[in-house]
Amino acid sequence: MKVGAPTRYLAGLLALTMSSTAGAQTTVTLPDTSQTTTMSANVSEQARVTVPATVTFSVTNIGVSTAATAASVTADQIVTSSAAKQLRISLQANAASFTPPVAGSVTWSAADVSWNAATWTNATGTAATLSNSSYNTVATCQADATSCSTTGLVFTLGAKPTVQRSGAHTLVVTWKFEGI
Amino acid sequence: MGLLIASLLQLAALTAQAPPPPETPRPLSFQATLDAIRITVRPGQVATRQFRLTLDRDQQATQFKARVEDWWRSVDGKQSFYAEAGTLRRSCGQWVSINPVESSVKPGETLTIRITVTMPVEVQAGGFWCALTVDEVPDPLEAAGEGVGVRFVASVSTGIFVYVEPVQREAAILAIRLDGDEARIQVRNDGNAPLAIEGRIEFFAPEMTTPLATTELGRRTVLTEPSREGMLTAKLPSARVLPSGRYRVRAVLDFGADHYVGAERELELVREEVQERAAVP
Repeated sequence: MKVGAPTRYLAGLLALTMSSTAGAQTTVTLPDTSQTTTMSANVSEQARVTVPATVTFSVTNIGVSTAATAASVTADQIVTSSAAKQLRISLQANAASFTPPVAGSVTWSAADVSWNAATWTNATGTAATLSNSSYNTVATCQADATSCSTTGLVFTLGAKPTVQRSGAHTLVVTWKFEGI
Repeated sequence: MGLLIASLLQLAALTAQAPPPPETPRPLSFQATLDAIRITVRPGQVATRQFRLTLDRDQQATQFKARVEDWWRSVDGKQSFYAEAGTLRRSCGQWVSINPVESSVKPGETLTIRITVTMPVEVQAGGFWCALTVDEVPDPLEAAGEGVGVRFVASVSTGIFVYVEPVQREAAILAIRLDGDEARIQVRNDGNAPLAIEGRIEFFAPEMTTPLATTELGRRTVLTEPSREGMLTAKLPSARVLPSGRYRVRAVLDFGADHYVGAERELELVREEVQERAAVP
């Protein structure tokens, strides 16, 4: 089934209305366009984003999962070309596993990190697991929203009873903001 | 009294000697243009565009690196994939050059990247795409934190779409589904170029000619490879507006052609009305 664009029908309807009232003449004042300056501003699609720099897991028991303190993410000053266009926020790990404090020792893999479907203002949060091969959605801002944010994004590190070395286990993870 | 003063003095001395608390890295904050670059070009033509990123004033100087790469999404739209330019047959990566490739941005400063698309003289008709990705480069001098942790960097990607006439825009609706509080429309791109698809879903009660409720579908880009299929989703109106029942569900999609595409299906909708009622005071 194909549906014709309603704007076409609207244009036709306006033309009909105007021709039917052409007999009733009214004097109208037209603006003098010769002495005006048209100013235009070209506004790009854009957004301002604020993301946390780090998240720390206080692992006191490697046999159970550890939740980090809730993180805040904000996208504001969102300008889009269409009311239907949405800003998408996602995450991907830069490596398959954490870097352990001692080379070669057991550590967590990127897939051991997950996040909750947090409550967002003007966005839908999506729970997912971290991957190093794809950007997985954290949230999609609502269409036509000028800002979206959360203060309740909780990252959880899974249990890893085979870890033997204390110290700094670190992983670099990329926040992705897409205008596609 | 003398003991109290001595204790206070001791405490003051300890406080003065105590090392400063470890500094928590400041959240990264910046503004960036997110326009997808869409250009219709002739073979041999050259087109230029700009990408801008402004670092907030309270930030530290940050290094950014830009590159052109291929991208695509999973059918459900929940995953994005990025790969070296040229991975996809319809990649425009080989025609796009950027300048500068790497730059340090000071607080309040704007990084402007010039994107030049140089079309070859002989090129197939249809749509080609790739993405400009601008990555924050991690500071190698920044000390690794104590304990187990994740260090974040930020990245912005904007699509680059190159169209060579004749462009055929064709789309088909494969399925309409209602799942929980979500409506899903599965579509297929039958043309020779990426489609930006948006639209609405209308819900009609039996025998009704005007919709009981309408919900807008967020825009989705559906490519021609590696998959021609994509899913548009929309949150259903509340159960008060659209209670459980049987409805004619009509999807009307705008995919950038001179006509829309639509499909209609009768579906049973089951809502969690008990929870909905409980939420109403």
